[in-house]
Amino acid sequence: MHFVLQLIFSGVCVGAVYALIAMGLSLTFWTTRTLNFGQGSLLMTASVATVALLGAGMPIAFAVLLGVLLAGGLMIVAERIAIRPLLKAGDSMGWVVSTLGLGIFLQGFVSTVFGSQAIAFPSLVFDSLDFVDLAGVQVSSQYLAVLGLSLTLMVAMELFLRRSAWGRAVRAVSHDADAAALAGIPVRRVIVLSFVASGVLAGIAGVMVAQITGTVDPGFGFNLMVLGFVAAVFGGMGNTAGALVGGVSLGVIEKLVGGYVSTAAEHGMAFAILMVILAIRPQGLFGRKEFTKV
Amino acid sequence: MPDQTGLEIQGLEVRYGPVQAVRGVSLRAEPGTITAILGANGAGKSSLMKAISGLAPASAGRITLDGEDITKLSPHERARRGLSHALEGRRLFHRMSVEENLRVAWDFRNRGGGFKTVADRVYEQFPMLTARRNTPAGMLSGGQQQMVILSAALIHEPRYLLLDEPSLGLAPVIVQQIFGFIESVCRERRTTIILCEQVAAIALRVAHAGCVLRRGQVVRSGEAAALAADPTLSAAYLGG
Repeated sequence: MHFVLQLIFSGVCVGAVYALIAMGLSLTFWTTRTLNFGQGSLLMTASVATVALLGAGMPIAFAVLLGVLLAGGLMIVAERIAIRPLLKAGDSMGWVVSTLGLGIFLQGFVSTVFGSQAIAFPSLVFDSLDFVDLAGVQVSSQYLAVLGLSLTLMVAMELFLRRSAWGRAVRAVSHDADAAALAGIPVRRVIVLSFVASGVLAGIAGVMVAQITGTVDPGFGFNLMVLGFVAAVFGGMGNTAGALVGGVSLGVIEKLVGGYVSTAAEHGMAFAILMVILAIRPQGLFGRKEFTKV
Repeated sequence: MPDQTGLEIQGLEVRYGPVQAVRGVSLRAEPGTITAILGANGAGKSSLMKAISGLAPASAGRITLDGEDITKLSPHERARRGLSHALEGRRLFHRMSVEENLRVAWDFRNRGGGFKTVADRVYEQFPMLTARRNTPAGMLSGGQQQMVILSAALIHEPRYLLLDEPSLGLAPVIVQQIFGFIESVCRERRTTIILCEQVAAIALRVAHAGCVLRRGQVVRSGEAAALAADPTLSAAYLGG
């Protein structure tokens, strides 16, 4: 009994991180109708930079903050060079190639500088062996902190989108960019803002995953982005509740399969879910159908 | 408030690739009047409106607002200079509530003051919106949506208002009400209004001046009363 509870709990925790990445992806999807496939490598670069800064003797809080800000800053670059020029070209899907290309470039760049093997990621707050006792189940402090932080960020994001002028502007641009511009909203700046927010969410998600796994390598970001993407599709692109349910379901299914079938099957689950969802319910669990008005 | 000298358009052209939607249009909207732009479907009315508000780039020509050249400004900059544009086809933010639609319209254009006072004035103007303030705008009836659009476009008391086909798809009784409101906005707030319509009769009833577009060119213009009395007008339309 305890084993299954452990699995579910760790599934919920990693799932919450997937949900953060899913939120970031859908944020920029709605403002630009593109998917940033470079997100994973951006997030990886931020985590590797954090490790490097820690190695150089920088205090933890400072190194993490700089790493996360780097993710946000790199997103501005990604939007500027890999997305904006391609949207001007009309209805082309060139951004698929350009964002993917940017991701591969960053991955190669980091491999060249830091090597392609896994780098140890130090424990920041809790050691991986710390635990608390919750109703007789031993719960890892690290996992609990990750869950708490993810949920806090999601609530903060939701409040930002609903209660602040810039957040409402992000939603307005997602609905109808022309109408938003006519309401006096600086659409370009709102799009850049959505990319920065997406990068910050991804950067934090990357640091949290690195904390759990204990290592980072140039390839880990891409896998994580794929999981975030599946979570987003699963829950339905573009709403926080959907991202959370999608991410958590994916995390729990993965961990249960990993615990009872094999850990090798764990990573295939995301793709199995993706195929099933796209076949039977393409708009996701909570999604809305995308209309194109002629 | 700067001097109101009106909205002036000179030699305006709009192209979409090889298609020229607006060809050398010049017109002038006097302050505090309603100007009707008439024409059949595809005559270039919407393109002209979009060029004025900045959504469609002008490939040639000049647009001045109260003496200031706004031809190169982006849509949001024009919006903040007191030029408001309500798009065709009731394009509001469908999944946002009525109140959020008003709020979004207010956020980036307000010149200080509280949103609540402004919103209350809207609900006073259109009492039927009060009960629906938290309803997603997409769930409202066509007439109610048009009221939200008009209220949102007017929420910051713009000096200029562009209205694209406000009668489209609405029941005659609602059209009466909407046009009555448009007329009162011009009379009471001294807002300069340019509205385009396919239904000439309704538009000319409230307008002071008007012009007829055909294939992107102005083929006739003059006082609204003179245009309304012109028996050849409908030929210009149907031939559109």
